[in-house]
This record gives sequence, structure tokens and C-alpha cells, in this order.
Amino acid sequence: MSSSPLETIHLPHLPLAVHAALYTDVHNAPYLRQQLLSANADFEYAFVDASMILSRAHALSAVFRAVNDYLNERLKSRNIHSEIVFSLSPTNNIADSFRKFGISDTTTSLLVVKVSVTPDITYESVAAHLAQNVQGSPLAFDDESLSGISNIAKIKKAYKLGSLPSTPSGQANGTQDDGKRRLEVSVQGAIALRGAA
Amino acid sequence: MPESEYNPPPLPQPFTNTPASQITPIYQGAEAHLYKTTFLSPPIPAALKIRPSKPYRHPILDRRLSRARILQEARCLAKLVKEGVAVPALLGLDWEGNGKDGGGSWLVMEWVEGCVVRVVLERWEGVIKARQGYMGGIEGEEEKVVRRLLRRIGGAVGGLHRAGVIHGDLTTSNLMLRPFSRIGDQKGNVDSGEEEEGGSSDMEGDIVLIDFGLASQSSQDEDRAVDLYVLERAFGSSHPRTEEFFEEVLSGYRESYKGAGSTLKRLEDVRMRGRKKSMIG
Amino acid sequence: MIAIGLEGSANKLGVGIMLHPSDGSTPQVLANIRHTYVSPPGEGFLPKDTARHHRAWVVKLVKKALKEARLSVNDVDCICYTKGPGMGAPLQSVAVAARTLSLLWGKELIGVNHCIGHIEMGRLITGAANPVVLYVSGGNTQVIAYSSQRYRIFGETLDIAVGNCLDRFARTLHISNDPAPGYNIEQLAKKGKELVDLPYTVKGMDCSMSGILAAIDALAATYGLDGEQRDEEEDATDADSTPESDGVSESRKPTRADLCFSLQETVFSMLVEITERAMAHVGSKEVLIVGGVGCNERLQEMMGIMARDRGGSVHATDERFCIDNGIMIAQAGILAYKTGFRTPFKETTCTQRFRTDDVFVQWRD
Repeated sequence: MSSSPLETIHLPHLPLAVHAALYTDVHNAPYLRQQLLSANADFEYAFVDASMILSRAHALSAVFRAVNDYLNERLKSRNIHSEIVFSLSPTNNIADSFRKFGISDTTTSLLVVKVSVTPDITYESVAAHLAQNVQGSPLAFDDESLSGISNIAKIKKAYKLGSLPSTPSGQANGTQDDGKRRLEVSVQGAIALRGAA
Repeated sequence: MPESEYNPPPLPQPFTNTPASQITPIYQGAEAHLYKTTFLSPPIPAALKIRPSKPYRHPILDRRLSRARILQEARCLAKLVKEGVAVPALLGLDWEGNGKDGGGSWLVMEWVEGCVVRVVLERWEGVIKARQGYMGGIEGEEEKVVRRLLRRIGGAVGGLHRAGVIHGDLTTSNLMLRPFSRIGDQKGNVDSGEEEEGGSSDMEGDIVLIDFGLASQSSQDEDRAVDLYVLERAFGSSHPRTEEFFEEVLSGYRESYKGAGSTLKRLEDVRMRGRKKSMIG
Repeated sequence: MIAIGLEGSANKLGVGIMLHPSDGSTPQVLANIRHTYVSPPGEGFLPKDTARHHRAWVVKLVKKALKEARLSVNDVDCICYTKGPGMGAPLQSVAVAARTLSLLWGKELIGVNHCIGHIEMGRLITGAANPVVLYVSGGNTQVIAYSSQRYRIFGETLDIAVGNCLDRFARTLHISNDPAPGYNIEQLAKKGKELVDLPYTVKGMDCSMSGILAAIDALAATYGLDGEQRDEEEDATDADSTPESDGVSESRKPTRADLCFSLQETVFSMLVEITERAMAHVGSKEVLIVGGVGCNERLQEMMGIMARDRGGSVHATDERFCIDNGIMIAQAGILAYKTGFRTPFKETTCTQRFRTDDVFVQWRD
């Protein structure tokens, strides 16, 4: 695919632009992960294992929380990008959040997020850098793409929502598939409440 | 002391960035301010609830209360969503707020379409009142429709209690009637704006419980019974014409979960206790 | 039209005389005499002793009131007395006095609800037309709003009254009951700085005080601050008045002043909160604080901040009108008297429990 898979998202209420790209058939996950581990500043991204992402709203909930905590100077991890991965987690264990939601050597579907925290982080700079460094097939970052990628069982397990029935009764906006909607809002609630001892 | 202008409290971070056109004040309660806005996705409406800090309180006490209460509300909502009870889902939360410059804690919920039951019943009472002028008595279809509605309310409250949550402020203003979903197969009225009929179609829809600002987690009969008693009194004072049908709420409640019977027994005690009795003479 | 009012539902005996000019101009206070039964530190006032006090003083106070008002018995139109609520024996002693005067003078009697007395006096003095009323005293804690001929109770204490809570803590600390235990708590609280954690119990528009009292009593016992004040404690309080380095230090032992401060901050926050909830509920912007605790300046200040933030204002009165008195009984009584209300002689009883919303308020729209 020639055009860049990168999308710039202006989340309501947030003053910072968010750039996101979704890939499948990623070949160089070990390389990308190694850059993170060696703290290569050029690779300051949120690299998320996309199989752990249920929907766009799921991922954006974590992004929102991380950006809000960044704006309030309350980051628990190194930077806003590691905080996005951490924010996906329902628990306070940072290392565990990276094991569950971050890129691993076996990751094949990858969600990349970068926030424009400085003026030099632009759509162009991010798109160019990703094109050079991520070997995979770009996909639109939407619920349709994610539905073919998400590992529902693993997601339920990570959020301890195993008991959630897949065919429930009326949920508060019963417009689409109720079961998935209920899982999605349950996950969003868990993200919002993380750390509320 | 002199009267002064009402100044709405400043919005906390990050809503200081939000253009005024995208955030509309809906209601100023005693403890919280409600706005209609959007959350992660611009076209989808969401409800933002802000608990501004209370300058009259000692700052330590204020922080403690504000934090405890928004967390309590958020936990109850999250739990109920998981249990499949019809409440607005919790989407976002900040229990710290940006305390420095007095901004409050906030939470974002799903926006619930529809109308509060108080308005639905007032509309119905208006229709009945107009008709009684030449017919007398509430009967037939009007009665059946309102009975059905009350029964569903009982079921909704039962679902809440089954999930281990006490609402704490059950009134007809905290119950919403959400029209059946637009793409669902129910024959519900898509447009809730049709007011003039007052017939049965007005009363179709899901009962959604809202405003968990005073909610708590408990499975005690006493707490559940007091919750029901508060609702009963609210019906009595706000909708005297429906008072005779309140039994339907209790029937709907009784059918909704296993422990309902013992809660209803306790309700009789709570009524008898009637702490507001006087001993004149 | 002139009414004499007799109040004695607790430890204050009050006799007051109100004039409502026939031309409809502003009512006037002609006399407002009070005598308080003060019990020794560490003790509350017992009904029996309080009743004895009232019996001993009532004749003197009535004479003094008439003299101060420069009236003769013939000028008086009706005799108003407190029917309740309050303590049984003191209420009875004053009811008997009122009946005696009625027979002696040949004047009609008006039995008045004590709470309504506070509300009507507060409205008269402050000019607040239709406020949400917070009635706070040693025996009562209620949030009240007027609606179709009744003062309706929106919220109240589920156990003890706020004044009772403060008075009892004054007893724990052996603080003087002169002029009033609550007043002395207030003065001590002004020196307090550190907020100790206490339960905060608001349930909708109701509140509860007994758990807070138990908690602060326990804290006082833990830190050895109960009982009479010790000398080294006083020194510690003074030595401490150097500028604070930064807020709260975990290890610091609270002082008696800190406990009074924390108790006030906590219970007053609860009162302001339930008042605000009632204001939001009925859509009112005015607050009127009545009752003995209403004299407390910190409570008035907190209520003022709340009301200001809602775009409204607070009305309060000073100790002449806040604390139980005879004119408030005369004022509420004369309003009822003007609508034709009378209490027949054989119904001139009194009652310890008499709900504010039991009174049919015929004199308001």
C-alpha cells in the first residue's frame, strides 16, 4: 500500500493531536521491541499488541486517560507513550501491563500511537519514520479491522471479565451487538477506574 | 450579605480546551454540574459530570469527600454495566481533578436518550385529569399502560439491588424512559418528541437508572428497603394519581430476583417505623 | 395589636412582647427578656432543675417585660406560649404560667410551635421572604422550606441535634456552660488548625451526628484531652502558634482546639451540604439560619460562601433572636391570632414532640 496508514485524531477536549496506525502481518516485532528496550529515543511510541484491542473506543479510552494524566503531571511511567500502554491495564502493575498489552516478539498485529507533545512531532515526521521502520500491512484503525484481530478471550481474561455473558439483555445504548458493546463499556470502565484503590 | 452574580465554576482540565459549542450545561445540582458533550468520538453525545470543589469546606475535607464520592459513583456504574443493569456506562474519570486551581473531579458517562419518568407521568396525569372532567375514574387502557410502566420500574430497581447496589436517591427524576433502539425490532416510537398523544406509545421503552451520586454497594435488606421506601414516598408526593398503582412497582420488584421477598417484608417495617411521626397531644 | 410570648422549652426562659401596628407598618419588639439556667461544667441541664428555674423566674420576667415595654396588662391582646417541641418539665412549667396569666388577665391563649417561632422571627428580622430555612439548635436540626400552607421538612438529623452534639462534646472537655457550651466551643475552635478525620454522615437531605460525637469523644480519650483542661495542654497550644511550616504533620498530637475545630468543620459542612441540596431541590437562592447554633459565625460564613456560589445570599440573626426567646413565640403567635386562630383553654397542653410540618400556616400565601 502506497498511502500512509497513519491517521491523525483530534480527541475532543484534548489539546494534543494523536497519531495512530494499525498494522497486520508485522514481521519485525522483535526489532521494534528491542528499540523500546534500549530506550532508543527515535522509537518513543506506544506499541500495542492489537490483538488485545477490542475496538477503537477501547484504545482511545487509554489514550485519553494517558494524555489527561500527562496534562495534570501525573504520569506513573516514563513518558506519555509508555503511559498509553500502561493505561490499557486494569491494574497498577506497569511491567505486567507491558507484558499483556505491549508489543512482544510474537506480535503480528500492531497498533502504533504517537502524541504530538512537541512541535516537531507531526503527521509527516511520524508517517515517514513508521514507513521506514514498521514492516507490515497497514489497516484502517477502525472497529471493522479490529474485529478481525482482537482476541476476545484474552481481552476478557486480562480485564477479569470472563463471566460476562456473550448474549446479555438490554445495555445502555443497545444499538449494536449488545454483547460486544457491553464488553467494550466494561473495559472502558476498568480503564477509567485503574488505580482507584 | 449582598446578593451576587452566579458564576458557574471553571471547568477542570482537560475541558478548559473544549470550545463552548461542544459543551452545554444541562443542570446544576447541589453537588455536581451536568454537561452534554462528546467523548472519544465527536458525533456521539456523552454526559460529563463535574463535582466542583466546595470553597466553604476545609480543603482537606473537600478533597476527601469529592474524591470518595466520585469514585463511589464510578464504581457503582462500572459494576452495574458489568452486571447488565441498564445504567449509563462509565467512559472516563478523573477523581483528582486538577486540585490546584479549584477545578473539580469529573466523570464521563454514556448519554441516555429519552425522557425522565417524572415528565412521562406528569404528562399522563395531565391527560387523565383532562379526561376525568367528563368521564370520571382512571380505567381501561390508561390504567393498563401506567401499570405496565410501574411494573417495569420495579423490575429495574430489582435488577439494581440484585447487582448489590443501592441507589440512595430513587425518585422519578432519576429514572429515564429510553425509547427502544432505532434499529431494534421493537415497535417502539422512534421519535420521543410526540407528546400530544399521551397514549401507550409514550410509555414504551427501557427503564434506565441515572444519577448514582448517592449510591453505595450493599446487599442488606434494610438498605434495599429504604431505597424502595424513598421511591414510594417520591411517588406519593410527586405523582399522587399513581399512588394507587405503586403496588405494581412492588410486584415488578418481587419478580426480579430471589431475595426480593425478604426485602419487601423489611419494607413494611421501614414504613411502620416512619421516623417522621409526631406525638402531638 | 400586642402579644406577649413565653418560651421555656429548654434552659432559656424568655418573655417577649411584640407590637403589630394597626396601620400595617413594621412590627416592633417592645421587650425581649431572657434568663438562662446554666449548669456546672461537665453537666447538662436536667429537666427537673430547669423547670424549677423557669418557675422561679417567670413572674419576675413577665413584670420586667411589661415594665420595659411600658405597657399595662390591658394593652395586651393575647398570650402566646411554647406548646412544643422541647423538654417536658420546662415546657409544662411555662404552659402553667401562661394559663395562669390567661385566667388572671382574661386574655386568650395561643399555643405556638417553637420551630415556627424561630422561622417567623428570622423572616421578620432579616426580611427574607421565602428562604430555605436551616433550623439548628440543641434540640433540633432541620432543613425546611415553605410550600402550600406548611413549613415542610426536607431534611433533618436522624439521631441527635447538632447543638446537642456540640454541647455534649463541651461536656467531654469540661468546657464552661456559661454563656453557652456551643459558644465556648466556637471560641476554642478559632484556635484550632489541624483537621482530624471524623465520620461524615449525610444521607440525601438527612444527616446523622451521633457517630461523629462518639468518634471525637474517643479521640479526646485517646489523646488524654477529655476532662478538665490540664496546664501543660494550654502551654502546648500557645507554643504552637508559631507560623506553620507546612500543613499537616502526621505525628502531631491534636489539641483540644483542633478537636473543636474539626468537629465544627465536619458537622457544619454536613449542614451546609444538606441545605444546598434542599435549595437545589426547591429552586431557592435564599437561606435563613435560625436556632441557637445559627449564631455561630463559622457556620454563617460557610453558608454565605455556599449561597454566594449559587448566586444567592444567607440571612442570619444575632444572639438576641437566634437563641430561644419570648418574642419569637409572640411573633408566630400573633400571626396565627390575626387569622383567627385560638387555643381553647382545655387544649393548652404541651408536647415534647411537635413537628414543624404539623402546623397549618394560614398566614402565608
